[in-house]
Amino acid sequence: MKNFKHFTKQDVLRWIMNNAIFVVLIALLMMIISVSPDFISIRNFRNILSQASTRVIMALGVGGIIVAKGTDLSLGRLVGLAAVVSASLLQSSEYAYKMYPNLPQLNIFIVILFVMIVTGFFGCINGFVVAKLKVDPFIATLGMMVIVYGVNSIYFDRPPYGAQPIGGLDKAFTNFAQGSFIVLGFKIPYLVIYAVIITIMIWVLWNKTKFGKNIFAIGGNIEAATVSGVDVVKYLLIVYTLGGMLYGLGGSLEAARIGSATNNTGNMYELDAISACIVGGLSFSGGIGTVGGIVIGVLIFQVIAYGLSFIGVNPYLQYIIKGLIIIIAVAIDSRKYIKKK
Amino acid sequence: MKKLLALLMVLLLTFSLVACGGGEQAPTESDPKEQATAENAEAIPQIGVTIYKFDDNFMSFVRRAIEKNADGKAELTLNDSQNDQAKQNEQVEMMLSKEVKSLAINLVDPQAAATIISKAKEEEVPVIFFNKEPSAEDMASYDKCWYVGTDSSESGVIQGKLIADSWKAHPEWDKNSDGKIQYVLLKGEPGHPDAEARTKYSIETIVSEGIEVEELELQTGMWDSVKGKELMDAWLAKHGDGIEFVIANNDAMALGAMNALKAEGYFEGDKFMPVVGVDAIPDALTQIEAGTLVGSVLNDAANQGKATVDLALNVAQGKELLDGTTWKLDDKKAVRVPYLPITLDNIQIAKDCYSE
Repeated sequence: MKNFKHFTKQDVLRWIMNNAIFVVLIALLMMIISVSPDFISIRNFRNILSQASTRVIMALGVGGIIVAKGTDLSLGRLVGLAAVVSASLLQSSEYAYKMYPNLPQLNIFIVILFVMIVTGFFGCINGFVVAKLKVDPFIATLGMMVIVYGVNSIYFDRPPYGAQPIGGLDKAFTNFAQGSFIVLGFKIPYLVIYAVIITIMIWVLWNKTKFGKNIFAIGGNIEAATVSGVDVVKYLLIVYTLGGMLYGLGGSLEAARIGSATNNTGNMYELDAISACIVGGLSFSGGIGTVGGIVIGVLIFQVIAYGLSFIGVNPYLQYIIKGLIIIIAVAIDSRKYIKKK
Repeated sequence: MKKLLALLMVLLLTFSLVACGGGEQAPTESDPKEQATAENAEAIPQIGVTIYKFDDNFMSFVRRAIEKNADGKAELTLNDSQNDQAKQNEQVEMMLSKEVKSLAINLVDPQAAATIISKAKEEEVPVIFFNKEPSAEDMASYDKCWYVGTDSSESGVIQGKLIADSWKAHPEWDKNSDGKIQYVLLKGEPGHPDAEARTKYSIETIVSEGIEVEELELQTGMWDSVKGKELMDAWLAKHGDGIEFVIANNDAMALGAMNALKAEGYFEGDKFMPVVGVDAIPDALTQIEAGTLVGSVLNDAANQGKATVDLALNVAQGKELLDGTTWKLDDKKAVRVPYLPITLDNIQIAKDCYSE
């Protein structure tokens, strides 16, 4: 406290600027709690964590791509494809309107793995178009977003039942995402466990492997990375493929969590995931970001969405608040970019 | 410094928005009158409501009817599910954690009812589904869930009847004098029970009235007026006056089609093309009065909202479901609010629906 005098007015201002997003959040949280003190409950906490889980998995996928100075707009549609394909392969055998009436009960893990390979394949094409054909990531994945929606709609809308939402999912599959177990009297949703496992895996990948070092190098300065012998094409292919696979996992869990899937599932999720990454401190100009930041970014949006609904803020107003938070985050992001230069 | 200033302003704006937003939606927090006694709070139960998409034209009227009927009787938590079933599931979790006394759910995806029911069942919270009907199997899985809606086939039958009657009254509409109606049909969202039923029953009813029909085009306009206009643009370019009737599964698409027709010079002088819709939304009523839209079918938003609140309120207070109301349950645990055909002759009925 002795040093307190040494803080000038400018230091304080700088601190507020650098942590503005957290200042806003804490203020919002205080606001929520003051309007409705019963917001602080284990149950709300659990709801927020389990709701954030699938989003964390998706955001980690696009996060790696953003670190490598890319972006991926096909996220939401790939989530939709994953949801529809996994739901169609995991309908309950008693359900009357099965997409494949004669399909036997399949193993959940095999189906999810299959879906991850399919979405990973689309991600790989994204990587190829960006790395090899040198198409701007925004454009490449914008195109892919539309293509995947088309592919998904063709798969989804066909005889005998046409464009019916795919419901009647296998109980084991819905329980895989909706279920929970009890530890020391606390109910822990399975989803949270999956998200934690994936987060740890991605953390190791980013921080302890050559792959991690190289995507940061590529994102930081692609020319320098090339000169120092990094196989840029290979690593971009991997990072986009990995992204695709994580959307596949997220999408399958999403189908199980919702209990049904349509070709519109996952629509616009890319915006949520990318905003969460940015708010979590990833720089859109590449090379900057942490796994922890992404998780925090996702949680921030989840707390806001949940909390504002909890205290009954007008839904239209929630859009405005969410948009403002994204703008603040990007304003900070551009400051970091200037600093880097 | 400039940036800091901008940031501070953004902050300020955000706070003021939240502050006024919170106050507006949760009046009990600030209103001393309602904080009066504990039994008063008991008398005003919390009801959790989700709307599949706030900016859906028709649902916005149902929502207003819900707000109006619940005023002073219940504290509503209104949620916009943004056409996203995952979001709706989360909102249901949130409201259950808020310990609402009953739920009124307008599903995004009717197939997802099982998930919502299992969540509500765990907490023994009664659910009133409205406007989008869960499967009979799901409805049977929980003794405390009911449905408020319409009989989908009825709107199709009434629309078909309306088409047949107006066709018989206007022999000049048969432009090629072959005695058949050459029609184009704007279908709603494929798989939506209303879209399927309206498409099927409107045509079946025309045929059963002894009129031959020929389908020129049938495409989905996703309930959307822009899509309705675009499809109609294309069809007009292809068939022109070969089209003798435009049938739309809802008014939004019918109005879209009318915009396409107006751009081609229809509804001026004696250039006319009959269009019918369903829903009788205010825009459509103005068109009926102007003599441009032949008719519509009133999907009674006011009474659907009222029935939803009546039921949700009764179960929230632990009363009998239909206590003090005139609604009747059918064998599928559903209250069916009837449809009405609306033409220039009885337009007042529809107008009364929207007046306070």
